[in-house]
Amino acid sequence: MAEDAFVISASMIPFGKYRSSSYVGLAVSPLIDALQRAGVQKSDVDAVYVGHSYGGMMTGQRITKEIGLGTVPTVNVDNACSSGATAVHEAATAIAQGLIDVAVVIGVEKLTQFGGGTLPLSPEDREVRQGIVMPAVYAMRATRYLYENDATVEDLALVSVKARRHGALNPFAQFRKEVTVEEVLAARPVADPLTLLMCCPTGDGAAVVVLASERARNRLGAGKSARVAASVLHSGQVAEGYRDMTKPEITYQSVRDAYAEAGIEPWDLDMIEFHDAFSIAELVYYEAFGLTEKQSAVSLLRDGRTTFGGDVVVNPSGGLLAKGHPVGASGVAQVAEAFWQVTGQAGARQIPDARWAATHVTGGGTAGLDHGACTVHIFEAA
Amino acid sequence: MSVTPEAPVSVPIADLENDDLLGAFPEGRRLVGTRCADCGQTMIGDRVVCSACVSRDVSRVPLPATGVLYSFTRLHLKGEAVRAVGYVDLDDNVRTLADLREDSIPLRPDVPVELGFDGDDWFFTPATGA
Ligand SMILES: [Zn+2]
Repeated sequence: MAEDAFVISASMIPFGKYRSSSYVGLAVSPLIDALQRAGVQKSDVDAVYVGHSYGGMMTGQRITKEIGLGTVPTVNVDNACSSGATAVHEAATAIAQGLIDVAVVIGVEKLTQFGGGTLPLSPEDREVRQGIVMPAVYAMRATRYLYENDATVEDLALVSVKARRHGALNPFAQFRKEVTVEEVLAARPVADPLTLLMCCPTGDGAAVVVLASERARNRLGAGKSARVAASVLHSGQVAEGYRDMTKPEITYQSVRDAYAEAGIEPWDLDMIEFHDAFSIAELVYYEAFGLTEKQSAVSLLRDGRTTFGGDVVVNPSGGLLAKGHPVGASGVAQVAEAFWQVTGQAGARQIPDARWAATHVTGGGTAGLDHGACTVHIFEAA
Repeated sequence: MSVTPEAPVSVPIADLENDDLLGAFPEGRRLVGTRCADCGQTMIGDRVVCSACVSRDVSRVPLPATGVLYSFTRLHLKGEAVRAVGYVDLDDNVRTLADLREDSIPLRPDVPVELGFDGDDWFFTPATGA
């Protein structure tokens, strides 16, 4: 049946604010570096997949033409925060089906073009016209979660504290300064109960990974790699009425399918990079990832089971909260982190003997949907 | 000999023509909903197709003026006054995003709420006796 696909190299720029760089300026360096580290020539590349949400027409081609990488198919992908991971999914799927041998995946976004504030959503959406913004969606999730569970705003703050502590170890992170629970709670309120330090920052970024078939990996003499053990993409399903915002069904479905495809159990994972756009998401996704059967989400967090030295390190990179969240780049950056961790290249934040890594992004504020898109990948050291 | 019929023309839906969520009905001003005649699903807004059974046999209906607050937040956006918004599950199980106001009864999840008006603006507020 399907062939194995492998991530054979990854590069990215530190996420941050680069007002004097275009989409091209953000992406070309990591593109060149990723190709070089993979030992891949332009002529080896069979297809290019580019995730972005706000880059405009032909973003991918504008980037690849700078290094004369043309002719082969270039596919631009928009799935909001899942854009980059959807591009990875398309590349992995094409390799698994035997259609191509070498794929370049670029995730890139420039959010500073909007001058700050919340992420621009489509004004064609009814709730967007009513004034919904992403912090409000997650804040409502948080209000309900705190109402239904034995959790407090201090727990929401603790998520940010952990993210910043991880980010402090990561040279690719936008925020490298640690914060305390008190500082998080005292920060400017954004959408109650969420303060500014419980929200991911606005920023720019680009990340590139190279994927190859087993055949190409051997031919190229690639070193340590990350085997794509699962690549799952789901879309949201509309609910006209009640929806449990604390149990986002799109993530439950994606995670279930990913574990089945990879043939592993939740606690087999050494690390998960998941979509902590706002601190409440971390608690919600512990459960969605099947980590809470014996222990509640808040006790996992409080007991340090999801940080370095724990059982599964969640967001070793600092996650969206600390590493940053240039929407279309995030999914590829997560895969880069997984690749670096399972190949032992993660420096100060290296998880010893990391073998299994999962990545997860959801995307899109759309009326009636939990999220528009959700992508989950599982990688194994290879 | 069978004749293949000519491909039919699809027509665009003028969904931008009336996107006001508030409408006038015999029972008074209510949020606008749409009910499917085939499967009975009720949806928010003026819609032309049922999202459950894909029937186009749908009609405009008033939604209940009462419901329960599922969750809420107070938004502190730069340059704007603090604004409370939430999801209200109306009595016919249609969920709507709504501006919220509170008087003597504080906002909290699961509090019964009712539709209120301020000129042309509408909002939900904890129901008296809640
Ligand atoms: Zn129907």
